Amino acid sequence: MANYYNIDDILTEEEVEQGAKVELPLWLAQELCLRQAVSISVPACFNQKTRLEIQADAACVDLRSRSPYFYEFGCKIAPLVGDKTVEVLLLSAFKIRYKEILTKAYTAAHTATSKFLTLLTKEETNLYEAAQSSMAAFKKWRKGGPRLQRASVLGRKRKPIE
Amino acid sequence: MAGQSDPHISLLSAQEVEFMAEDELIEIVPNMRMDSLNFICGDFGPFLPQIATEVPLWLAVALKKRGKCAIRPPQWMSVENLTRILEGERDSQGAFQALPFHYVEISTLLFDHARDDIPDMYMVRSLVEDIRDVRVHKVETSLEKFSGTSAVKIPNLSAMEVNIIRPFVGRALQAFYKHDNPEKIPDVDRASSGQTRVPNNEPREDMSEGGKIVPWMIIYSKNIQLDQASKVIFFALQRPLRR
Repeated sequence: MANYYNIDDILTEEEVEQGAKVELPLWLAQELCLRQAVSISVPACFNQKTRLEIQADAACVDLRSRSPYFYEFGCKIAPLVGDKTVEVLLLSAFKIRYKEILTKAYTAAHTATSKFLTLLTKEETNLYEAAQSSMAAFKKWRKGGPRLQRASVLGRKRKPIE
Repeated sequence: MAGQSDPHISLLSAQEVEFMAEDELIEIVPNMRMDSLNFICGDFGPFLPQIATEVPLWLAVALKKRGKCAIRPPQWMSVENLTRILEGERDSQGAFQALPFHYVEISTLLFDHARDDIPDMYMVRSLVEDIRDVRVHKVETSLEKFSGTSAVKIPNLSAMEVNIIRPFVGRALQAFYKHDNPEKIPDVDRASSGQTRVPNNEPREDMSEGGKIVPWMIIYSKNIQLDQASKVIFFALQRPLRR
């Protein structure tokens, strides 16, 4: 009966009171929710204050401080808490922030955007960097330069065989 | 290597796109006599002085570098045509004017290697650069209209323009897809590695002759992809000797 890997077994040893509120990692909460051992409430990063800020101006909200994986976390937590509004919130936030990333990535100078970058989540940063690097690669190609590189082994002096 | 593509950022580097553009045909006027050349991509020539003939761009550039020919700039690279295209680009907000798929690369190569063959070189060059800038700006504004995973259609986009926006658009569409359909989130890593690993897995067992590194195993896997090959080589070195 007692099993090292049995999560219920571990938890009984921890003796969590019924009705107590505890913070758990998502993976653990997910498992426990599937066994109907716990019910999950909406995490703090999707609270009313954040929602109002996103409605006001999604592009200026500091989502990274809420959660660096804001969207992924939202996608995973939404079916667990059974809150359809989280998905709507994510989509509307991403739509607006996408446009902001687009204009910043292709037009603005790199120095002007450093403050904006600190607000982005991991996914958004990847998006921004993909745009920046492809544009930089194109400009580098346009500028030209040697098309062939000298291999490092060339030009070395050969040692005499003896 | 300088021109090698980075699989994480973009599918092709600008140098690779340029390499593909070099297969486009262009007219040259040779000043030497030479028999026809038989390539895998076709037969070109014979080359007779002052008789124009069509060759791939890479051959034209190579001959030009040796002073064996003059390159005839393509029809679309005239000042009148480019001025008309530039006006068209500025007038229409959404649509793009029809230009050769590799116009950025072809014009760059000709500006670099055949400047004495292009009449009004500086005018043509600045017109092409203006057209390119207008178009790139237009691509960015049309990307702003994305708001879901509906199909995206931008006709007349050129190879280099597509290559610039590809990494960004790919990621963005994936994110839109994810948020539109939260139920069916594509697990990209698992899906792609699963697909590519399957063909690798099968021959491994057959090839493992008691844990020796079998040379043809590495050759075989080089056919798939470079990073896959390194994975398989690593696997082969790791395998313990059973005998």
